[in-house]
Amino acid sequence: MLISRRKQRILTIATYLILAGFTLYCLMPFLWMFVTSIKPDDQIRTLNPSFLVKQITFGHFDNVLNNSAFLTFFKNSLFIASVTTVAALLISIFAGYALSRFVRFKGVKLFGVAMMLSQMIPGVLLLIPLYLVMKNVSLINTYASLILAYTTFTVPLCTFMMKGFFDTIPYEMEESAEIDGASRVGIIFRILLPVSLPSLVSTSLFAFLNAWNEFMFGFVFINDESHRTLTPGVSLFKGLYQTDWGSMMAASVLSVLPIVLIFIFLQRFLVEGMTAGAVKG
Amino acid sequence: MKMAKWSMVLISSMMLASALSACGNGNNETSSSSTNETSGTNASATEPAAAEEAVTLKFWSALDPSSDQGKTIQQKVKEFDDSHDKINIDLQVISYDVLHDKLVAAINAGDAPDISWGLGEWFGEFNKLDALADLTDAFNAWPEKDKIYPNVLEAMQVDGKLKALPNYLGIRALLYHEELLKQGGLTEPPKTWDELLNAAQSFKEKTGKEIFGIAGAGVRSPQELIMYLAQNDVVLAEKQADGKFKNTWLDNPDQLAKAAEVFRFYQDLVAKNAVKADARTWGWEEEDQNFVLGQYAMVVNGTWIEGRASENPEGMKDVKIAQPIYGGKPATFMEIAPLFIYKSKHPEETFELATFLMGADYQKAVNPSSAPRTDVVSEGWGKQFMALAEQGIAYPAVSLGGITKAMEDSLALALLKKEKPEDVATQLSDAINDSLKKNGELSGS
Amino acid sequence: MLTLREKRARRIAIAFIVPALLFFLLLNAFPLGQVLWDSFQLKNLLNKAENGFAGLANYAEVVKAEYFMTALKNTVIWTVLSVAGEYALGLVSAIALNQNVIGRTIFRGIIIIPWVVPIVIAGMTWTWMLTPDYGILNIWMVKLGIIDQPYYWLGELNTALLTVVFVNIWRSFPFFTISLLAGLQSVSRDMIEAAAIDGAGVRRRFWHIVLPQLKTVSLTIIFIHIIWTAVNFDFIWVMTEGGPLHSSETLPIMIYRYAMQEYNFGQASALASMMLGFMVAGFVLYYFYATRKNRG
Repeated sequence: MLISRRKQRILTIATYLILAGFTLYCLMPFLWMFVTSIKPDDQIRTLNPSFLVKQITFGHFDNVLNNSAFLTFFKNSLFIASVTTVAALLISIFAGYALSRFVRFKGVKLFGVAMMLSQMIPGVLLLIPLYLVMKNVSLINTYASLILAYTTFTVPLCTFMMKGFFDTIPYEMEESAEIDGASRVGIIFRILLPVSLPSLVSTSLFAFLNAWNEFMFGFVFINDESHRTLTPGVSLFKGLYQTDWGSMMAASVLSVLPIVLIFIFLQRFLVEGMTAGAVKG
Repeated sequence: MKMAKWSMVLISSMMLASALSACGNGNNETSSSSTNETSGTNASATEPAAAEEAVTLKFWSALDPSSDQGKTIQQKVKEFDDSHDKINIDLQVISYDVLHDKLVAAINAGDAPDISWGLGEWFGEFNKLDALADLTDAFNAWPEKDKIYPNVLEAMQVDGKLKALPNYLGIRALLYHEELLKQGGLTEPPKTWDELLNAAQSFKEKTGKEIFGIAGAGVRSPQELIMYLAQNDVVLAEKQADGKFKNTWLDNPDQLAKAAEVFRFYQDLVAKNAVKADARTWGWEEEDQNFVLGQYAMVVNGTWIEGRASENPEGMKDVKIAQPIYGGKPATFMEIAPLFIYKSKHPEETFELATFLMGADYQKAVNPSSAPRTDVVSEGWGKQFMALAEQGIAYPAVSLGGITKAMEDSLALALLKKEKPEDVATQLSDAINDSLKKNGELSGS
Repeated sequence: MLTLREKRARRIAIAFIVPALLFFLLLNAFPLGQVLWDSFQLKNLLNKAENGFAGLANYAEVVKAEYFMTALKNTVIWTVLSVAGEYALGLVSAIALNQNVIGRTIFRGIIIIPWVVPIVIAGMTWTWMLTPDYGILNIWMVKLGIIDQPYYWLGELNTALLTVVFVNIWRSFPFFTISLLAGLQSVSRDMIEAAAIDGAGVRRRFWHIVLPQLKTVSLTIIFIHIIWTAVNFDFIWVMTEGGPLHSSETLPIMIYRYAMQEYNFGQASALASMMLGFMVAGFVLYYFYATRKNRG
C-alpha cells in the first residue's frame, strides 16, 4: 500500500471535484453553442440568458444543411485536412528520423534550428507574401494552395514529434537489420513505424486539427464557394450588422462534433503516442 | 540508398500528383460554374458553346446568404447573368470581416476582382493603391445618372474623377423606444445636446435605465464621432489649395474649441448618466443589441435595426425614428457603401453590371429603405431615413486606416483616461496630420 | 576525412530532410527573407513616391511609436501568464486524469474539446458569454454574489488583457494535459514504490520523484508554447482588437495594423524582425544558461 485508506478516499474525492470543475470549464462554451443552436430566434439574445431550452427547434440545423453550402465546406475541409495530414506525416517521418539519427551532421542541426525559427514568424505577416507566391504559381483558389500552406505550417511540429519518438527507440534495433542488408527506408517502414502506431496517430491528429481549424489563409487563398473550407464558411453567418447566431452555432456544432468524436475514439493513442515522443523530448 | 532515393521520388511525385489533381480539379470547377449557387447543387451545369466568347466578371459581395436580402441579391444577379449572353457573373460571397484583407492581398498581387462591395472607409485607400477605375465618362453617359443623390456622388469623387459607385446608403437617424421615453416623462425625444443632457438624470431616476447609447470603440465609434463633429461645424481634414488635405484645428482656436466641445459632450454623457458606463467601450454589437433589448432609450443608428424585430419582437415594438440630436446644426453620418470597380480588362461589361446594381429594379428589391437613388424610397423606415439624406456627411476621401484608429483612441482618452477635452482635440489633430503625412496626403508636404 | 559509411549516412540524411527543407525554403524562408529585406526599405503602399533604402528609419519609427512599449509589455504579460496558467491547469488536470477514476475516457474526451473548437467561434462565443447585459457568465456571477453588478470584462482597461488570457488558457491547456499525462504515465512505478517503502509521503514523492521526471516534457511544451503564444493573433483580434485604448494590444496586433490598416510594410516588417530578434535572443540566452548550468 502506497497510501493510507483515509488519505486515499480524500484524494479520490478531490480528484472527482477537480475533474468536475474542469468538465464545467471545458464544456460550457461548447454547451452554450449547442443550446443556442436549438433555441428559436427570439430566445437567443435575451436579457435572461439560460442553458434551459423552453422550446426546441431544429430550424437552424435545417438552414445550415439545406440552405447553405455547409456540406461542400465540410467536404473541402475533410479533403484538404486529410491530404495535409498524409503529406505532413510522410515528410516529417523522414525529417524526424534525420534529426534523431543524424544530428552529428552540421547541416541537419542547422535544419533543426531553421524548423524552430519558422515557428516564430507571426502568420499575419505572411499573408501578403504567401498570396504573391501562390499567385505566381497560379494556385490561388485551389485546394493545393491550402494544402501546401498547411503542410508547411505543420511539418515543423510533426517533425519534432517524430524525432522525439525515434529518440526513444534504441539504435540496436536498426543495426541488426542493417547488417542483414535492409535499406534505411526499409528499416523505417518495416521496423520503426510498426512499433510507433500511437505516435503516428497523435502526430496525424495534430496535423489534421491544424488544417481543420485554420481560418485566415483559408479565407484569403480561396475565392469561390465550391473550394471554401469550414471555418471561413461558418463565419459567413456573421453579417455586417447582424449575426445569425442560431445558424452559426449550429454550423459550429456540426463542424466540431466529428472532430470531438474522432478525438474521443483515438485519445488512447494520443496519450500513448505522446508518452513515447514527449518523455525524451 | 537506392531505396531511399526511390522513396523520395515516390513521395515527391505523390505530393505533386495530389497538388496537381487538386489544382486541376479546382480549375475545372471554376470555369464550369459561371454563377455560383449557394447550395452548390447545380453549380456544375456547363455553359453552352456560346460561352466561349463570353466574358466572366468576378464579383465579390458581402451579402448574407442566409438572409432574405442575400437570397434576393443572388437571384437578381442570376437574372442579369441569364439575360446577358456575353456576360457571365462569378458571384462570390465574402463576409465583411475578411473582405478588406482579401481585397488588399488581391490588389497587391494584381489579382483584384472586376467589381466588389466594400465600406466607405476603404475608398481613399483603394484609390491611393491605384486600384480603382475612372468611371467619370461611363457614368456621365448613363441615362439614369440624375437619380443618384448628389452628395453621395460627390463623396465618391477624387480630383473631379468619379472612382466608385454607391451600392447602398447607411444613413443614421435617431431611433427611440417611445414607451420607455414616456415612462421617463418625455413625450418626444430631445432635440439638442443640452436638452439630452438635462433630461438624462431624471430619466435615469424614473426608469432605472439610461436615456442614450453610444459606441466608444470599434468601427462605429469614429462614424459617430465624425457626426458629432459635423454637428458642431468642424471637419476632420479639409482640402487645401494644393489638392491635399490638412486638419486645421491647431491653426484656428475657434475650431479647436468646437472640437473640444464635442469631447466634452462625450464626457458629459458619461458624467450625467446619460449613457451606461460600459458604453465607453461598447462596439457596434453591444450598442445595437442593448438598444434592441430595450436596455436604454435612444441611439443614433441605421435601418438594419429594423431586421432585429424577428429576434426581439418585444423590445422592438415601440421603436420610432427622429432627427439625430445635434449641437450647433443638424447633421448625420451617411455611410456610403460603395461598389468598387477595379481596373479590369472588361470595363464596359463591368459598368453594365454596375448600372444594373444601381438600377431602380434591383434597388427596389434589395435595398428598399437604403437605396442611393432618389426614386427608390420605401414607406415606413426608409422614408424617414432618406429624409435625412441631404444633411448626411461622409468621411473625406483620404486613406483612413490611421485616422479612424486615432479617432477611436481619442475617444478612449476622453472617456477612459478622462483627459481634458482640449488636450484630446489637440492630440487628435496631430494624429490626423501625422497619418496624412505618412501617406503623402498632407497639404504643404 | 569521413569514412565511406559516414558519407553514405550523410547522403541519406540530406535526402531525408530535403522535402521538409523545400517547403521551408519556399513558404517560410523566402517570405522571411522578404520581411528582413523590407524592414530596411521605405515601403508604404499608400505612398509609393517614397521608396528606396531606409536604413534603420523603420526601426526607429516603430520604437518611437506611442504604444510600442505598451505592446511590448502586453506581449510579455500575455505570453507569461498564458503559458503559466496553461501549465498549472495542464498539470492539475493531468494528475487528476492519471488516477484510477471511473469514466476516465469521457473526462479525457471532454478536456480535449476546447482545443478543437475553431478560435474564431470560441472567441465570439466567449465574448457573448462575458458581456454585461445579455451574457450568461455575468448574470451567474451576480446571482452567486461574486460581483455586485455586471462587469464589462473585455471593455475595461485593467481587465481586457487578463480576460483574453483566461480564454486563451481555456483554449490551450488541453495540449499540456495530454503531454503531461503522457509524461506521468511513463513515470516508473518501481521508483515510486521504492520511495514509499523508504517512507516518503505523497507530497514528497510528487515533488522529488514525479516532477523531476516531467522536466523534459515540461520544457519542450513550455518552449513551443511560448513561441506560439507570443505570435498568436486570432484570439486577441476576435475578442478586443487590441482595445480598449491599446490595453490588450500585443506586437502581432501592432504588426497587423501596420501591414493591413496602414499598408506600411516597411514598418510592419521592421517590427516583425525585431520581434523575431527578441525571441531568438531569449532562446539563445536560455541555451547558454542551460548548458553552463549543466556543465557546472
